[in-house]
Amino acid sequence: MKKLLATAAIATIGMGGTAMAEECGDITMADFNWASATLVANVDKFILEEGYGCDVELIVGGTSAIFASMDGKGEPMIAGEQWVNSVRELVDVALDEGRLHAVNRAPILGLGEGWWIPSYTAEAHPELTTVLDWIEHPELFPSAEDPSKGAFVGCPSGWGCQQVNISLFEAFDMEAKGWVLVDPGSAAGLDGSIAKANEREENWLGYYWSPTSIIGKYNMHPLPYGVDYLGNDYWNSCITQPDCPDLRPTSYTVSEVFTLVTDDFMQTGGEINDYLAARVYPGTVMNSMLVYMDDEQADGEDAAIEFLISHEDVWMEWVSSEIAEKVKAAL
Amino acid sequence: MSLLTEFPEMSRTDLRDFKKGIDGAFKEFNKAYGEGIEGFFKPLLYALKWFEDLLVDTPWPLMLVIIALLVWLGSRSWPLVAGTVISMLVIGYLGMWEDMMYTLALTTVATLVCIVLGIPVGILMAKSNRMQAIITPILDIMQTIPAFVYLIPIVIMLGIGLVPGLIAVIIYAAPPVVRLTNLGIRLVDTDILEAADAFGASSRQKLWTVQMPLALPNIFAGVNQTIMMALAMVVVASLLGVHGLGLEVLKAVNNQYITLGFMNGLAIVAIAIVFDRTSQKFGKRLQKHSEVIHG
Repeated sequence: MKKLLATAAIATIGMGGTAMAEECGDITMADFNWASATLVANVDKFILEEGYGCDVELIVGGTSAIFASMDGKGEPMIAGEQWVNSVRELVDVALDEGRLHAVNRAPILGLGEGWWIPSYTAEAHPELTTVLDWIEHPELFPSAEDPSKGAFVGCPSGWGCQQVNISLFEAFDMEAKGWVLVDPGSAAGLDGSIAKANEREENWLGYYWSPTSIIGKYNMHPLPYGVDYLGNDYWNSCITQPDCPDLRPTSYTVSEVFTLVTDDFMQTGGEINDYLAARVYPGTVMNSMLVYMDDEQADGEDAAIEFLISHEDVWMEWVSSEIAEKVKAAL
Repeated sequence: MSLLTEFPEMSRTDLRDFKKGIDGAFKEFNKAYGEGIEGFFKPLLYALKWFEDLLVDTPWPLMLVIIALLVWLGSRSWPLVAGTVISMLVIGYLGMWEDMMYTLALTTVATLVCIVLGIPVGILMAKSNRMQAIITPILDIMQTIPAFVYLIPIVIMLGIGLVPGLIAVIIYAAPPVVRLTNLGIRLVDTDILEAADAFGASSRQKLWTVQMPLALPNIFAGVNQTIMMALAMVVVASLLGVHGLGLEVLKAVNNQYITLGFMNGLAIVAIAIVFDRTSQKFGKRLQKHSEVIHG
């Protein structure tokens, strides 16, 4: 129903909107405080300003702050990379009631949380594919403190994902299979343990998420779980809760990221909504851009220009050739 | 004009290349020697792990008796023993016994390593002005550099867990024992040293029979400070995934769990007070003993 509503809305705007294209006007857009979102925002800004003649103002903030402001006040008008899981109920209500619209339900491909191994580990054992296979081999991932056990690096103490990883560790019965759950303590500890393993080509199995520069830089390989996802209800009532009595193996919940626009913008934005709907970053491209930002210590603006120069093949598909020419000329 | 208002900075690309160059050199070094260095620390890791398991696996009543006995042997003070036992019981009752044992293990081993390494370095500093000039700035760096700065290279070289946590603690906690050993020896009255010379004492005899005993109160003050600082670093060590009270504090910080934070924080304070009072009383007893001899 929600989807139907959204597509219907897109269709009506698509017809009425072309007249608007000449003068675009002022647009406010969210610039979330993490690397991939700031890149997305700055690429949008550049294309909208140079290609569509808009005036774009970026508003910096975190997930919940930006969402609250969009939902309540209609500012900013566009959130390019809104992570939905943490504010799912609010998003559902806002979409249902038509205050916000999801013009793009997957602006970045291959993203999400889960369990990862380095790609050289995956290549060394082509016979092992899913989590179910890998957890039979704790001897490949010896723990530093007790080499007779396998080390599974979970999520840092106090993060939301900590309980999820504790539950999954139990649900897959990993302790009995000879694993210990290692708490990395902090983001620095988790990043550092991945960096250390990769610098020395040691095996590593643990929790991480994408898109991130760590995943891109070390070319980490996401593991499929080999079991079905048991649904949001089971996930929220059991896996995310301490001491759930009914733990069963399940794959990791899928992270959803939307590009959201306000209802006003949906009505008046015209072809810009088409652009937002077409704008999809392949996961590897996004990760490589994050590595670039990390290595060069580039900010969102520098990174956006680097992206537009080096990944023409990606973004030329998002816009008409006429607009692509304008953007290219501005570079 | 802009020459004066704008500081003549290194160009952005040069600065970036400079930073990348050093990072790259470190990574090369790590690739070449990291494994060897990690191997070097393996015995320490196993010793620490063994001690940790010992503390955790010992039945709690026995552990309580042992701790009370140690406190009594150190302090000879019944009120302190009673205070220790009561606070340990409260900590255990509030569900922090195991975490407390992890923290005790780490701080005990860290303090022992600090003493074993720190006192000889302090003696060396006291013997030679040049050594003092070299070591003092190093101690300044160790005490003031933000821990997060050296955590990153330590993790990349040694991974996460006990050894990197222990090293982070030692870097911060070792300076007081070094400084006060140096100070204590240097403060020994020159008249007394002249007297020792007059009796024909060799420099070794002078050190062990005159300077060290007279410096003991200061050295003990240093050990005491080292213990305090080791306990203060427990939370930072937990950033590298070391078990114990610190990890619970981190959890509390990340989730705004006020009570959990205070419970674990105050448990660290309780351990600190027990260590402090015991070692202070022990130090005072040593001093009294020496006063009797010299008096």
